[in-house]
Amino acid sequence: MDDVLDEVVSSEDLEKFEKVFHEQLHQGNVTHKAQFEYAWCLVRSKYATDIRKGILLLKELFNSHAEGKRDYLFYLAIGNARIKEYNKALHYIKRFLEIEPTNQQVLALERQINKRMETEGLVGMAVAGGAVLALGGLVGLGIALASRK
Amino acid sequence: MDCVTTLKILVIGESGVGKSSIILAFTTGDYNSSFPATIGVDYKCKVMEVNGLKVKLGIWDTAGQERYRTLTNSFYRDAHGAILVYDVSEPKTLQKLNEWVDELQVYSTKKNIVCLVVGNKIDKDRAVSREAGQAFAQKHRMLFIESSAKTQEGINLAFEELVQKIIETPGLWESTGSSSNIRVTSEERSQQESSCYDYTCSI
Repeated sequence: MDDVLDEVVSSEDLEKFEKVFHEQLHQGNVTHKAQFEYAWCLVRSKYATDIRKGILLLKELFNSHAEGKRDYLFYLAIGNARIKEYNKALHYIKRFLEIEPTNQQVLALERQINKRMETEGLVGMAVAGGAVLALGGLVGLGIALASRK
Repeated sequence: MDCVTTLKILVIGESGVGKSSIILAFTTGDYNSSFPATIGVDYKCKVMEVNGLKVKLGIWDTAGQERYRTLTNSFYRDAHGAILVYDVSEPKTLQKLNEWVDELQVYSTKKNIVCLVVGNKIDKDRAVSREAGQAFAQKHRMLFIESSAKTQEGINLAFEELVQKIIETPGLWESTGSSSNIRVTSEERSQQESSCYDYTCSI
């Protein structure tokens, strides 16, 4: 593993905090703590649906609980980066840096996201290049078939 | 030359004792006087050489804040080494280290994990004697060192001692081949190790 974006939550942890959250939800009284702990697991899941759910919970916390804002912004950035919503992730980082401009942890995350955007941009180009080659092959095949007639 | 293994190092202790500063000093040589509280868990890599072997360290920096206490203990799993930090200018942080020792005993999974107690901030006015820190470490059978992330004193030595001890502890770590998911047999491992030594000799 190279950076925090590679880190994946264990299924035991996810289940443990999910259980607490759902129990509180059932009783109609969810604490900030339980919601954050569950969201913190969700955004580190390997499944995009979990991550999206975690992002929703974090957004809710961000709007209702001022005290933990820096934690919520940070994990909103992590969650969005993990589902490749890089622009949204960078938006949360920007908001964080408005409050703490020199935060090493957040600046490192920003670098990691930029690095991913760069490498995945290249991958995208390679895929496009492959498609052009495949198309060329098909055209070539078509010409070959046509010339056989 | 490839690294022979990756070691998981955990850094724990009360909020504000300088865990992130120690890691920053070790990985980059920098110092930042106003370090904000770490959010959740941070991760840094560094390659270091011990006994002529290149070893990759994955260093997990855990938030000391109470709100993260229940979340960070899952990171204790599979750690090869732990650094327990207190602040020599704040006696309470050494007392509180008892709780971190308990956490470590409950959540660490490797039986012979190597632990190092670090008394940080020796550049400040001291309120905890060196002997008191040493006694604490001895009681828990841990290594001990004093450091200052600000002046770099003791920082490299702390990591060197810890990693050295881990490498010397049989059965604690496994050498990694090109694919880290494959367990190597002892025969393969000795071959790998000897090939590393050969490589070192040929330099």
